[in-house]
Amino acid sequence: MRKGKKGKHVLSLLTVMALIATLIGCGSSESSSSSSSTDSAGQEKLKKITIFQSKVEITEKLENVVKKYTEETGNEAEVWGAAGDNYGTQLQMKLTSNQGPSIFSIGTGTEAEKFKSYFYDMSNEEYVKNIAPNMALEINGKIVGVPYGVEGYGLVYSKEMVDPSEVKDLDSFSKTLEKFKAEGINGLALSQEGYFLIGHIINTPFALQPDYQDYIEKLNNGEVKMSETKEFQEFAKFMDAIKSYVKNPLEIKYDTQMGDFATGKTAMVHQGNWSYSMLKDYGDFGSKIGLMPFPLAGNDKLTVGVASNWVINGTADADEIKAANAFLDWLFNSETGKSTIVNDFQFIPAMTNIEAGDLDPLSEAVYEATKSGKTLPTANNYFPAGIIMNDLAPAAQEYFLSKDMTGEQFLQKLDEVWAKASK
Amino acid sequence: MRKTSMLLLEILLLVLAVIFLSPIYMMVVNSFKNRAELYENALALPTSFSFQFYKEAMQKMNFFTAIGNSLYVTIVSVLIVIVLASMTAWMLVRTDNKLSKIIFMTLVATMLIPFQTLMMPLMQVMDWIRTNLHLPMLNTHEGLIYMNVGFASGMAVFLYHGFIKSIPIDLEEAATIDGCSKFGVFWRIVFPMLTNITITVAILNVISLWNDYLLPSLTLADKGLRTIPLSTFYFFGEFTIVWNQAMAGLTLTIIPVVIFYMLAQKYIIKGIASGAVK
Amino acid sequence: MKKRKDKLWFVLFTFPLLFIFTTVVIMPFIFGIAYSFVKWDGIPANPKVFVGLDNFIQLFKDERFLSSAWHTVKFTVMAVISVNVLGLAFSLFVTTKLRVRNVARTLFFMPNLIGGLILGYIWQFIFTDVFGYLGQSTGLDGIFFNWLLDPQYALYAIVIVFTWQVAGYTMIIYIAGLQGIPDELVEAAKVDGANVWHRLTKITLPLLMPAFTICLFLTLSGAFKIYDVNLSMTRGGPNNATEMFAMNIYNEIFAYGNYGLGQAKAVIFFLVVAAFTLTQVVMTKKREVQY
Repeated sequence: MRKGKKGKHVLSLLTVMALIATLIGCGSSESSSSSSSTDSAGQEKLKKITIFQSKVEITEKLENVVKKYTEETGNEAEVWGAAGDNYGTQLQMKLTSNQGPSIFSIGTGTEAEKFKSYFYDMSNEEYVKNIAPNMALEINGKIVGVPYGVEGYGLVYSKEMVDPSEVKDLDSFSKTLEKFKAEGINGLALSQEGYFLIGHIINTPFALQPDYQDYIEKLNNGEVKMSETKEFQEFAKFMDAIKSYVKNPLEIKYDTQMGDFATGKTAMVHQGNWSYSMLKDYGDFGSKIGLMPFPLAGNDKLTVGVASNWVINGTADADEIKAANAFLDWLFNSETGKSTIVNDFQFIPAMTNIEAGDLDPLSEAVYEATKSGKTLPTANNYFPAGIIMNDLAPAAQEYFLSKDMTGEQFLQKLDEVWAKASK
Repeated sequence: MRKTSMLLLEILLLVLAVIFLSPIYMMVVNSFKNRAELYENALALPTSFSFQFYKEAMQKMNFFTAIGNSLYVTIVSVLIVIVLASMTAWMLVRTDNKLSKIIFMTLVATMLIPFQTLMMPLMQVMDWIRTNLHLPMLNTHEGLIYMNVGFASGMAVFLYHGFIKSIPIDLEEAATIDGCSKFGVFWRIVFPMLTNITITVAILNVISLWNDYLLPSLTLADKGLRTIPLSTFYFFGEFTIVWNQAMAGLTLTIIPVVIFYMLAQKYIIKGIASGAVK
Repeated sequence: MKKRKDKLWFVLFTFPLLFIFTTVVIMPFIFGIAYSFVKWDGIPANPKVFVGLDNFIQLFKDERFLSSAWHTVKFTVMAVISVNVLGLAFSLFVTTKLRVRNVARTLFFMPNLIGGLILGYIWQFIFTDVFGYLGQSTGLDGIFFNWLLDPQYALYAIVIVFTWQVAGYTMIIYIAGLQGIPDELVEAAKVDGANVWHRLTKITLPLLMPAFTICLFLTLSGAFKIYDVNLSMTRGGPNNATEMFAMNIYNEIFAYGNYGLGQAKAVIFFLVVAAFTLTQVVMTKKREVQY
């Protein structure tokens, strides 16, 4: 008898399950279908928007500013999130399945090219008028993206240990590294992550080409070779100096790289202004550190580029685009929005109507370089998709691991993997 | 002589288990350290056991909402998987024809497909269902549960299949002669005999669904819907990881499954006991 | 009449699951196969060009793909052996009368409770920093060096981490299997004077065949599909020496944006692996002892 009862129990459980699976679960309707409506105050309430962006570090602050936006205007927005290295894939998935978002972020160059069919043409919007010269994301002459802000990189150095005048060219660079090696200090640290190992440092010889986009194009077509280009040959010598005088970068992670630098075990790191957020966890570095150019072929410019760009999803409906425009307009023109960009996000502004906030020493250096125009472009944005992590980094690993591979052979290897990847 | 060797065995087992757990030790101790301490020595015990990073992690993760979401998604998915997979597996075992062999082999074979290659077309199918059948498959818990059931069914059927085979068929035949419907036979006779494997299926699925990141990350977007693993994304920047909060978040994530595992384990032991009595 | 009724029951019992399964797994899989004949970057608005078998021809010329397949095979063989030996050993230990068995059972299973990439990062730290430190302080730098920078040892490291994660999982299934073995059989053998080894090889192991089938298959499929551990431990490095199949395909689809080529790789690999593992399932299933 007991068994019979149990059977009934299970049966009813099954029915409930089936109901949940087929009816209740799938019966709830979507809430986002409401279009613009009017709230009690008589002010028009815009459609709720969704925002998806790649800089995890600002997500929480973005959520906060969205709250303020709702308080000030009554309009709503939802901030989505993805772990740092997962953003691109997720964005592609969300767009493929028509889930939105209304506003998303995209890198300049190859990445923007890939997603360009989704961009809304912002050329006539109010907020693009204040974008600093050459900073807007443009595709086919149309403005499609507003920059987050500016970021830059070069050699971050400890002022107590390094005199910038001793790092001016290959010769002095090598001597400085040699000197540190003799003292038991790591002269320059790269680290194992693809961008920090090769992606950033190789930008310099590209950026020094008269027309780097044209050069990359030719490289893709096999018309030129890095191993036959002057700047790259010099780059190879720099890499040889690094290989022979400093600790193997493959043994170093970004965390240890900055830790070693903060504790005086490393004199220089090839890094950008973003690394200050890591350094500040070790104490106050106030004016003890600086940022100087990577002196390839006597280069005296920092590499400076746009961190990322805000774009609007052009495939969304008109109400949603309208609401998205309203948000960006608020972010870049209202006092609250502007102050958030510089004080909370701590971006170096790329807008003429926004004053820089309190900058850390590294960002200060980048900001100064931007103002004086002593900057190199971020050519690596235009590399073929995925090449840094999947081709250049393995080649660099081979170079740093094999005892007798020379810089010249490294260049040939780079040419070889580039040819394969750009096919 | 025998006693000492037993004792040695006990000690050996314990030592092995402790070594086995050293990575977990690292997770826990580093959830109490700031970046400078972590850099100094990742193996050392923390200088202070303040729960500051736990508090921060819980706040960022919206912990209690997230745990509710995770519980709902995991429990409902696992229940449905158990009910549907046990029924299917039983039918497949007891129906000896080509079709059931083909179905079984298909279910098994699809377990070999890496999820990464399915996710894009999966999203397209779900989008198609959403736009054409008006069922909210995306950005809802129920849609995620539906997909969880689909992905878990292969393994669950496979597990049940193996164990149902070892159940004597006589009892079922006797019940059928007594006038039980197939439904009755299954739920009254067969399913109760599957308790051990059901618990195993439940444990394995609870764990994998509780920890799942990739599928929920594709389907759940709104903050209020996020499960626990999804909520930990705040700690993972493109290059930097906020280690202490990430480790604290991870520790918090696994506590519920550890408790669940310990509870479920008791039932397995009970299962042994009742098996011995019978 | 009865036959028709049986068919109806069959449909009633299997349809709900098969329906869900078809929409979630089979349909996407079929679409995936269809895409393998197309050149496309994965962005819906961008053109899809039908290229016939081009993708398949291309992938056989892709040395990196072929070597990633080879790494996967090497990894799988090592991982399947180590996971099952360890899992079986654990399960035998924790079903004895040892006092620590309950604690041990929980501890052995623990690694499985933790998902995600972060464990990979912890292990990365162990192989990089802790091993370096051990090498320096013990002088055994032939064993303790940075394993992740050596092409051979980096693969072993992934095997170790995978084993560590999955052995407890198979342990559970072996335990369930061990519990299914009637005590009377073992007792009877004891009375007959069979020693531990005999009882194990003549009674326990043969009766464990169903559990063995399951564990072998689960570890095989898990190992073939490995991605998370691969990504967080080595990212395929050094110099692509540990790049495995799932990572190669993921990069083809999402990093390079060659969706069709990536799907073609998936199809080929699936066919090879399925042929291989299904043979295994059929073979071990035949050996299962029928009551």
